[in-house]
Amino acid sequence: MKKEETVKLISAEGFEFVISKEAAMVSQTIRNMLTSPGGFAESQRGEVRFPEISTVILEKICQYFYWSLQFVNGKETDHFSLLLGCNFHEYLMSRR
Amino acid sequence: MSTPKKRNFQIEAFKHRVVVDPKYAEKTWKILEHAIREIYNHNASGLSFEELYRNAYNMVLHKFGDKLYTGLVTTMTMHLKEISKTIEAAQGGLFLEELNRKWEDHNKALQMIRDILMYMDRTFIPSTHKTPVHDLGLHLWRDNIIHSKKIQTRLLNTLLELVQRERTGEVINRGLMRNITKMLMDLGSSVYQEDFEKLFLEVSANFYSVESQQFIESCDCGDYLKKAERRLNEEVDRVSHYLDAKSLTKITNVVEKEMIANHMLRLVHMENSGLVKMLVDDKYEDLGRMYTLFRRVPDGLSTIRDVMTSHIRETGKQLVTDPERLKDPVDFVQRLLDEKDKHDKIISSAFNNDKTFQNGLNSAFEFFINLNPRSPEFISLFVDDKLRKGLKGVSEEDVEVVLDKVMMLFRYLQEKDVFEKYYKQHLAKRLLSGKTVSDDAERSLIVKLKTECGYQFTSKLEGMFTDMKTSHDTMQGFYASQGGETTADTPTLAVQVLTTGSWPTQSSSTCNLPAEIMGVCEKFRAYYLGTHTGRRLSWQTNMGSADLKATFGKAQKHELNVSTYQMCVLMLFNNADRLSYKEIEQATEIPSSDLKRCLQSLACVKGRNVLRKEPMSKDIGENDAFYFNDKFTSKFYKVKIGTVVAQKESEPEKLETRQRVEEDRKPQIEAAIVRIMKSRRVLDHNNIVAEVTKQLQSRFLPNPVVIKKRIESLIEREFLERDKVDRKTYRYLA
Repeated sequence: MKKEETVKLISAEGFEFVISKEAAMVSQTIRNMLTSPGGFAESQRGEVRFPEISTVILEKICQYFYWSLQFVNGKETDHFSLLLGCNFHEYLMSRR
Repeated sequence: MSTPKKRNFQIEAFKHRVVVDPKYAEKTWKILEHAIREIYNHNASGLSFEELYRNAYNMVLHKFGDKLYTGLVTTMTMHLKEISKTIEAAQGGLFLEELNRKWEDHNKALQMIRDILMYMDRTFIPSTHKTPVHDLGLHLWRDNIIHSKKIQTRLLNTLLELVQRERTGEVINRGLMRNITKMLMDLGSSVYQEDFEKLFLEVSANFYSVESQQFIESCDCGDYLKKAERRLNEEVDRVSHYLDAKSLTKITNVVEKEMIANHMLRLVHMENSGLVKMLVDDKYEDLGRMYTLFRRVPDGLSTIRDVMTSHIRETGKQLVTDPERLKDPVDFVQRLLDEKDKHDKIISSAFNNDKTFQNGLNSAFEFFINLNPRSPEFISLFVDDKLRKGLKGVSEEDVEVVLDKVMMLFRYLQEKDVFEKYYKQHLAKRLLSGKTVSDDAERSLIVKLKTECGYQFTSKLEGMFTDMKTSHDTMQGFYASQGGETTADTPTLAVQVLTTGSWPTQSSSTCNLPAEIMGVCEKFRAYYLGTHTGRRLSWQTNMGSADLKATFGKAQKHELNVSTYQMCVLMLFNNADRLSYKEIEQATEIPSSDLKRCLQSLACVKGRNVLRKEPMSKDIGENDAFYFNDKFTSKFYKVKIGTVVAQKESEPEKLETRQRVEEDRKPQIEAAIVRIMKSRRVLDHNNIVAEVTKQLQSRFLPNPVVIKKRIESLIEREFLERDKVDRKTYRYLA
């Protein structure tokens, strides 16, 4: 996978997950981070740091992204909230 | 959701960090405020979206949404105030560009701010019914930039000036204009309307009011319309390039009103270039332009239509009442057709085939054709001319075209029964003299008349055709019964048996037929009455024709085609070389007026003078003497000696026909009255007149006085009675 097609998600502990942009953009918030005009640090470096998300949870989140990409086709389900608690869902999945 | 296995499963609430720091909100907001400033300064690259988003998220989550929102409003307002200063400082032409650039910056910044404040936008704002971030940004821009004292009027004036410059032919930066007007539209349609459109329309109205006044003083109608059209197109173009599409109707209305509606009458009536002149000169392009422009304004088309209609009426009236024109009926009708063609073409090519215009044209024709009481006669004569010779060698389709045109004129006639009268006469002459060019054309016209006026109208005409056909069969039968007895010496007879009533009745004035002919005639009479018992035959010698073989001086043989009367006269010369007028009259018993005409055509027409007259003069006198003209020569073998054919009627004939028409109308009017009264039982006078007129108008326009007379006659004959109380009301007596 080309570097431009990936994004690096970094957990609170500094653990790095490199996943495809497409999967990451399942989250509307990450999509905003990467596409907002004006060039925030994230879109320039191609990485997002989550100082408040632990490695374990971020891993689950990344799994969810791929799962969602494959099965949900962009539609949100409640599974994620069940899995991780509403908070992260709110945080990451908020829509315009 | 269907979860079959329901477990007591509780999700623990996410444990927030308990905010202990009392300055937490203040600190977090400082970070965000700083970020907003950096965003406006194009310095966002150092900022972490995640951090900002998380901070805003946490602020809202920790019930500091209000602080966040008010902070945003204050910060943005402050920035916009600064921006407004730099825009104000921009000099002259740079003003708009600066405004545009700052607007783009603001939009971009606004987008970024909205993105990082997404969580607030999504949760806090709807629940507190505040303005969403994007709209807030636009409102603040509107209030602080567009409505700032130093910018508001300057912006408006700059825009209007640019439009004005473009109108006077300069090229302006349309892209910039488009961006600015787009900005005004983005800020809300009311901003666009209040801050630009309203005054734009006012200024435009003034501009076009002044300009149209100048144009109308200096241009002719065609040029003016061209200019107006161009202006209109320019405005349409302008709207499509840099104004709101909703402005289109507004600005075109302004142009239409100022340039067209306000000067409509003056344009139409412009001396030497107005509508009438265009119509006369067939200026299709100018007329088309006038039509499309005038169509845009109220009453525009009716103005054109009225002027056109009255123009056609006027010219038509001149045409039909010009005594010069009355001399040649064929030319007269041809001119009517030409006039119709001309205007049809104008309507189809310039007036979009507008139905109302066609109706106007039709009503105008109806009006003036009926101004001349001889129109029905002339139209029939025109047909006669066409069917005699005019259509020779013309293709079937062209014949149809001519006939259709004739039918169109016929439709305009009010006195269709008069036409029928004349048509019958002319048709009779054509049929009897065998002069008709095309049987198909004749029948086609009859069919057309039938579809137009119904069976009754043409039944007699069709009867005439049937007579011709049966006569043909009868003659074949006759000769077959004679068994080939005819030799070269006995004359060949062709009889047409005409049903009384179907054919125009003419005062039957029989003459003495030559003995040779009498013989054959009697044979025929015997044959005919033998096969058809109970009938009566009388000879209509005034309608027949004959072919004579004659030998002249130097053994020159000719075949002479003459009328029956002429034949009778010429046959006399078989036994005499000289005959006086009196002798001829005595021998033939032809009525004197007919005899004079017939002798005139035998003796006085050069090239056809088979008789010689003494004394030589143009007119026939009672004391003239006639000689067989030995010296007659002609380069043709067949010589046609025509009595004057279907000419238009002389004054007394005209009166006679008129009288006959009036007579024929009486029973029709009576029939109509009885029909109406039978169904209505009781009706007052005015209504009867109206109903009768309506019923009969497809044939003629009955005169109310005549209707009254007919009613009186019907009362006398006890079909009707007057009401005893109301004398104006009639009752039907069954």
